[in-house]
Amino acid sequence: MTQKRYFDTPQIAAGFEAVRQSLPGVESDGFDGLRGDAMSKYLDSGLPGPKVEEWKYTNLNFLANENFDIATVSPQETEIKELFEKARVKGLSGPLLVFVNGHYYKPLSTSVDQKGIKLSLLSDNIQSFRDGMAVSDGDSSLNNLNRALVTDGYHLEIAPNVEMKQPMQVIHMATSGTDMTAMRHRVQIMAGTGAKAEIIESYIGADQERYWTHGVTDVMLEQGADVTIYQFQTQGRQAIHMTELHSHVADKARFSHISLQLGAEINRTELINSFTGENADIELRGAYLGRNKQSQDIFTRINHDQPNCQSNQLYRGVLDAGGKSAFQGKVIVARDAQKTNADQSNKNLLLSRKAEANAKPELLIYADDVKCSHGTTVGELDPDQLFYLRSRGMDEVTAKGLLVEAFVAEVFDGIADENLRTAFKEKTARWLAHEVTP
Amino acid sequence: MLEIKNLHVTVGGKEILKGLNLTINDGEVHAIMGPNGAGKSTLSYALCGKDGYEVTQGSITYNGKNLMDMDPNERAGEGLFLGFQYPVEIPGVSNMNFLRSALNSQRRYRGEDEIAAVDFLKLIRAKAAELDMDPEMLKRPVNVGFSGGEKKRNEMVQMAVLDPSLAVLDETDSGLDIDALKIVATGINRLRSPDKSILMITHYQRLLDYVVPDYVHILAAGQIVKTGGKELALELEEKGYMGLGITESAA
Ligand SMILES: Nc1ncnc2c1ncn2[C@@H]1O[C@H](COP(=O)(O)OP(=O)(O)O)[C@@H](O)[C@H]1O
Ligand SMILES: [Mg+2]
Repeated sequence: MTQKRYFDTPQIAAGFEAVRQSLPGVESDGFDGLRGDAMSKYLDSGLPGPKVEEWKYTNLNFLANENFDIATVSPQETEIKELFEKARVKGLSGPLLVFVNGHYYKPLSTSVDQKGIKLSLLSDNIQSFRDGMAVSDGDSSLNNLNRALVTDGYHLEIAPNVEMKQPMQVIHMATSGTDMTAMRHRVQIMAGTGAKAEIIESYIGADQERYWTHGVTDVMLEQGADVTIYQFQTQGRQAIHMTELHSHVADKARFSHISLQLGAEINRTELINSFTGENADIELRGAYLGRNKQSQDIFTRINHDQPNCQSNQLYRGVLDAGGKSAFQGKVIVARDAQKTNADQSNKNLLLSRKAEANAKPELLIYADDVKCSHGTTVGELDPDQLFYLRSRGMDEVTAKGLLVEAFVAEVFDGIADENLRTAFKEKTARWLAHEVTP
Repeated sequence: MLEIKNLHVTVGGKEILKGLNLTINDGEVHAIMGPNGAGKSTLSYALCGKDGYEVTQGSITYNGKNLMDMDPNERAGEGLFLGFQYPVEIPGVSNMNFLRSALNSQRRYRGEDEIAAVDFLKLIRAKAAELDMDPEMLKRPVNVGFSGGEKKRNEMVQMAVLDPSLAVLDETDSGLDIDALKIVATGINRLRSPDKSILMITHYQRLLDYVVPDYVHILAAGQIVKTGGKELALELEEKGYMGLGITESAA
């Protein structure tokens, strides 16, 4: 019997019709129509099953039966504060943008007071979103599902040659009472010629709830723009976390994405990047950590369609008992993309025999004058190193912790801001110490 | 006081130590010499509790405590230090961070407070200076890219900072030029005191010119076959193992 590659989810269609009238933008025809079209597309294609190569390591079959409603709980202020304090990177003074259960949360958010920087919310500026969505090229079924059911998000525009003074922190949280609900947001970041911005994105949520966070981000970089996204994925351990990012990087522009993924039960992170100009740079770095049924699936793609561009990927995975990961990194160098420089390094550390790390680098090179490299390893802690540390007095947990921290440090060592670098390292250390929502 | 009685150690299914006896009192410096493969490193690893070094018979006690029941870090907490024949490289962990973590772990084990950051910095800088180590090396990852001599010097800096009461030094002098050898000797002599014990494992008499031992033992085929004063090392140098009637191969 052959299995269907894509499968249907009729309950999601029914759920959409039930909430459609209450979604933002219903009074604006264009937007409701866009939602309807997206839902049709979603229903036409269905969800990818495990036979679809790209989805080999994350099985979505559970979505065939489970129904995730739109979150409607009224969250407790104390819990919001608590999650906020845990997620917030300390020592930074930039703007804050907080989303609670899929909706903008004003009390903890601050405005952006800098000339040349425009921030608007989906929930109160449908127009800018509709325009933004038109440039979004993601057409996967999940992307369409997100378009249909998105409840909030933000649209950020940085005018040419404006440099954002301080990184903007965006926190997406899911509180208690979000069990079996979905939160879908969309983000658009438009960096004008020579503009510069840093965004810190944190995901956090109640540890006992099985909620579904689903985000789509589009980043457009004009000539010479420089955008870095730092991401902390510290979701509750029952959560389903799916994000899809598309970047378009023009002449001499630079896009960087640096992430730490240590939460959620099911994490699917997609980073789809394209060069639209020459002499541009894309840098993707990340550490993913998993144990106890956690699955961290990182899927990256870099389309080298232009000559003289550079991409650099560095991913480190740490898997403990019951943890599973996949790193799928695809680099496609088009025939005209001469002088491409593409490096990819993925190393995984297994702390237990009951852990699993999958690595699938894929290089498709159609140009002849290129420098491309990739390296993949899966290994264990070196017993001689462990003994050396222990002979100096460190107990097993301390010694292992030091070695694992050193293993992932490479991902974060280059971060210039000390508060940020420390936050990445501390959260890693807290995960190693088995803390809840590190 | 360290007491090793009738020690039998098996490695990879093969018996390497075959009834070794050795007592080291406080304040004493002992040297163990012996041909390659005699079991010298095996003795040092068994003392420190390395995995795979199985004690099948005999006992090891230190200050009346049974070391064999303890994990390697607990033995370190009791005051034991092993200077490695081949110090291990630890990429990504700075010397500084490594030593602070080690020292604080030992202090916690002994129920003492952790050392304050400034005090630690002073301590480590002072010890590095005493042993002629460039302070920049403290920031570098442990032993990574260090020359053979630098690695051994680093062992001495670690020993000076951790201040053990029993140091077991496995061929700390091997592969060193005369300047590096003098530094290693300085490190050992600084540790030497009436309440500390030192066990030097060495191939060559030359270290013993700088650190004069109270006793010299010859280990061959898994046992101590001869014990004497410092003159035994000179005799060995002159006559060789064969000349002393010692066969190199394990019986
Ligand atoms: N892991 C091991 N498995 C099997 N045999 C080993 C192992 N390690 C050491 N040996 C053997 O044990 C003997 C003693 O080794 P070692 O203690 O290193 O000697 P020494 O330090 O005196 O030169 C040698 O014959 C060596 O081959
Ligand atoms: Mg040896």
